[in-house]
Amino acid sequence: MNSVDLNVEQKETEKIEAPTGLAVIWRELIKDKLALFSFVLLIGLVLFIYIYSFFLNQDEITKIDLMNIFARPNAQNWLGTDYGGRDVFGQLIIGARNSLTIGFLITLTTSLIGITLGVISGYFGGWVDYVIMRFIDFILVLPTLMIVIVFVSIVPDYNVFHFIFIMSLFYWTSKARLIRSKTLAERELDYVSASKTLGTPDWKIILFQVLPNLSSIIIVNMTLNLAGNIGIETGLSYLGFGLPESVPSLGTLISYSTNPDVMQNKWWVWLPAALLILVLMLCINFVGQALKRAADARQRLG
Amino acid sequence: MPLLKVDNLKVHYPIRGGFFRTIKDYVKAVDGISFSIHEGETYGLVGESGCGKTTTGRTIIGLNKATDGKVLLDTGSELVDLTKLSRKEFRKYRSDIQMIFQDPYSSLNVRKRVRDIIAEPLRNFESLTPEEEEQRIIDALAKVGLGPEAMFKYPHQFSGGQRQRIGIARALVINPRLIIADEPVSALDVSVQAQVLNFMKDIQKDYNLSYLFISHDLGVVRHMCDRIGIMYNGRLVEEGTTEDIFENPQHLYTKRLLSAIPNTDPKKRYENKKLREEINREYEAKTRQFFDENGRIYDLKPISATHYVAMP
Amino acid sequence: MVKYIFKRVLAMIPQLFILSILVFLLTKAMPGDPISQAFIGNPNLDPAVLEELKEKAGLNDPWHIQYVRWISRLIQGDLGNSYVHKISIAKLLGDRFSNTIILGLATLVLTYLIAIPLGIIAGRYQDSWADKMIVGYNYVSYAVPLFVFALLMLFIFGFRLGLVPTSGSVDPQVTKGTMEYYLSRLHHLILPATTAALLSTVGTIQYLRNEIIDTKYKDFVKTARAKGTSEKVVYNRHILRNSLLPIAAFLGTDIVNILGGSIFIEQIFGYPGIGQLFVSSILQRDYSVVVVLVMLSGFLALLGTLLSDIILSIVDPRIRLED
Ligand SMILES: Nc1ncnc2c1ncn2[C@@H]1O[C@H](COP(=O)(O)OP(=O)(O)OP(=O)(O)O)[C@@H](O)[C@H]1O
Ligand SMILES: [Mg+2]
Repeated sequence: MNSVDLNVEQKETEKIEAPTGLAVIWRELIKDKLALFSFVLLIGLVLFIYIYSFFLNQDEITKIDLMNIFARPNAQNWLGTDYGGRDVFGQLIIGARNSLTIGFLITLTTSLIGITLGVISGYFGGWVDYVIMRFIDFILVLPTLMIVIVFVSIVPDYNVFHFIFIMSLFYWTSKARLIRSKTLAERELDYVSASKTLGTPDWKIILFQVLPNLSSIIIVNMTLNLAGNIGIETGLSYLGFGLPESVPSLGTLISYSTNPDVMQNKWWVWLPAALLILVLMLCINFVGQALKRAADARQRLG
Repeated sequence: MPLLKVDNLKVHYPIRGGFFRTIKDYVKAVDGISFSIHEGETYGLVGESGCGKTTTGRTIIGLNKATDGKVLLDTGSELVDLTKLSRKEFRKYRSDIQMIFQDPYSSLNVRKRVRDIIAEPLRNFESLTPEEEEQRIIDALAKVGLGPEAMFKYPHQFSGGQRQRIGIARALVINPRLIIADEPVSALDVSVQAQVLNFMKDIQKDYNLSYLFISHDLGVVRHMCDRIGIMYNGRLVEEGTTEDIFENPQHLYTKRLLSAIPNTDPKKRYENKKLREEINREYEAKTRQFFDENGRIYDLKPISATHYVAMP
Repeated sequence: MVKYIFKRVLAMIPQLFILSILVFLLTKAMPGDPISQAFIGNPNLDPAVLEELKEKAGLNDPWHIQYVRWISRLIQGDLGNSYVHKISIAKLLGDRFSNTIILGLATLVLTYLIAIPLGIIAGRYQDSWADKMIVGYNYVSYAVPLFVFALLMLFIFGFRLGLVPTSGSVDPQVTKGTMEYYLSRLHHLILPATTAALLSTVGTIQYLRNEIIDTKYKDFVKTARAKGTSEKVVYNRHILRNSLLPIAAFLGTDIVNILGGSIFIEQIFGYPGIGQLFVSSILQRDYSVVVVLVMLSGFLALLGTLLSDIILSIVDPRIRLED
């Protein structure tokens, strides 16, 4: 046997040896240069933001200093100060931390709701499925953004948890649909029938057989969702209907640009936040899209 | 007393349509069939694709809901109608009936090790120590001719035939009395088919198993089965011992099915073709004799102690 | 077909009904009522008089009575009054509604003007350098949040380069009806519409690209090629005809998305449409206006989806309508 043959064989065994999708996906990801770069940059940014914010004193940063308003970027205030003389760089870090954390929490809650309802709908079918799907259809045609804004503006003692709750009410539907359709396909496979005939209860089949097989789809979806949720949160915060004032968001910093003078002449207040959102979104999306391609490719292979 | 008695079983799938997904019509996948399976016996269910074989098998084991009729299981002390049981109540009888699936690729979860796959029924029904469990798995693997090292591998590391053996080991591990085998070898290479079939016969003898053997391959059925039911459009058209069916077919449809078996002897090919044409002509001519005015198949009538044919 | 449309329209009624109750209850739950709101900062007002005014306006009735009163008026086309602006909501909506529609239409037209050629190029020259650029643009436009992009566009083209006005829908100096007036409107429209359009091309481009790539390998195209039909004719006659029509089906969804985005676009570009009105009404607790706007958006969204489904069923016979 010559060496070329050997190589081919090795490659083949390698391909089948990975039973979990994650290893394959990871291999795909590092093959894609842009995605890999995005991934590294994203990890770097996130680590920097969380570690740096750990050493920041929020009270000090949000303390108004009228002697130092709208200072241009300088050695002390790397990105200058805002209309209250507060350090923009510190606000940027804290805002980014809050936006990331809350985007992540919303992704978790919507995933929890979406996956649970989607998998129940797809697995059991019948009237349960019918009711859940009609409910989703109804929510999907709602003018969601407007209703979220209405909700936000009427909650008394509004705080972060209210925001997460309100967002979770409306943004789980497309995930539920996705998971439902994948579950529908999965439950037709004989391994599910086999588990049933072996006396395994439905909840165990769902939890330990079906869901693990959907894990790569769930991970891809959650990644793309994270980006989407950060986008919605910062957008709402920009309009003034997002995070409460005590929890500044990247959107809060950007909202200072509503003042044309700030927009035109004091760009250091809002532009860095806008660019940071842009970079975060692009990175998360590039990683997510690469994961998606990898997961799709894996599915094609069977 | 048969081990299992299927009595006038009907399975109708609703076709839903319209805005409110109301029921518009039914697919009568199984439309009133009756047969029994005795201990240690292999009962073959044969018919063309879509005639309702799989639906029958899946309904017996509770994967589909029966629309009407009974599936009576003799537990030794009483007769239980399986179609009336909820999934919870069915649990008690799971270890009596098991199933082997057609596709050895999709019937094993790719993410699970063979050990966990075979242990699944054990963990559901018996509380064993890890050592006991391991011993049971090793035994089950040995029954199907696999070594204990298979335990730690994943399904994709086996061939189709080996996977099917793993599926059989999983069904055997809780000592069932009846195994429903839905086209157990049709997804396998012809060379492996005989091997798996013979092995199924061996374990049948060793453990006094009964099989409901579902297939569209008459050759395989002849090799495996003691008695055979010929299914067409959700109903049985003929039932008898293997000899009855192959040596003395009565129903037009059975004859046609038999004539469609490809003959391996090239000298007889021409003869065979002529026979086939003749039967086809007879089929056209005599349809009225075997189907009522609605095209429905008549109920089975005995023509001997073992042989039944659907006739007016 | 007529029966299908009729059924779909009928099915919209319960949705609108639930939406109306939901929205009505929400706004009832808003802190502060419009009457007290309107007299804030008027210390001379006797609280008893205020109470009387509220009573008169029916604000003290149980909610379902208020709801029935409101919905029956709404069905008759009476949108009610804005307490803040002290004019009827119909009047308040008038110009803004048409502004939003104009902006929406402009966005839609631009979206297709951008997306269709790009989709065709990407599909036809698959894996070429141009295709890669277009796919890259698609990834980026999918990822970028609308409000950030809009701000950057406004910053660059409005403030830095000064190419377009930074707010409003028309120069207040010009007289209505003149050529100048229309040019000014166009000038105000161009940036918001382009901005929104650049981000709403994703679906169409992706669809068109996939569709063309699929069609390329279909038998009838292969046959045409084998017969020696020129590549150009193959594209114009065979591929495009099959791929372009279904785009129309995105129309409804596109409309819904563009309407959703209009809150950001109008707020950022200071464009007086219903999106902007919504935000200011929320801030001023002008809830009768808020209710009407949410209902209106919900209604338009339902119409949009209906439109999509109908077009889809016309252009794509594979999708059979449930009768
Ligand atoms: N879930 C379902 N819903 C509606 N119709 C079904 C469903 N499952 C099966 N059918 C229909 O019931 C009939 C019998 O199907 P079944 O799978 O039992 O046939 P089969 O004899 O096993 O065929 P094959 O040899 O192809 O496996 C077919 O017409 C099929 O289309
Ligand atoms: Mg079958």
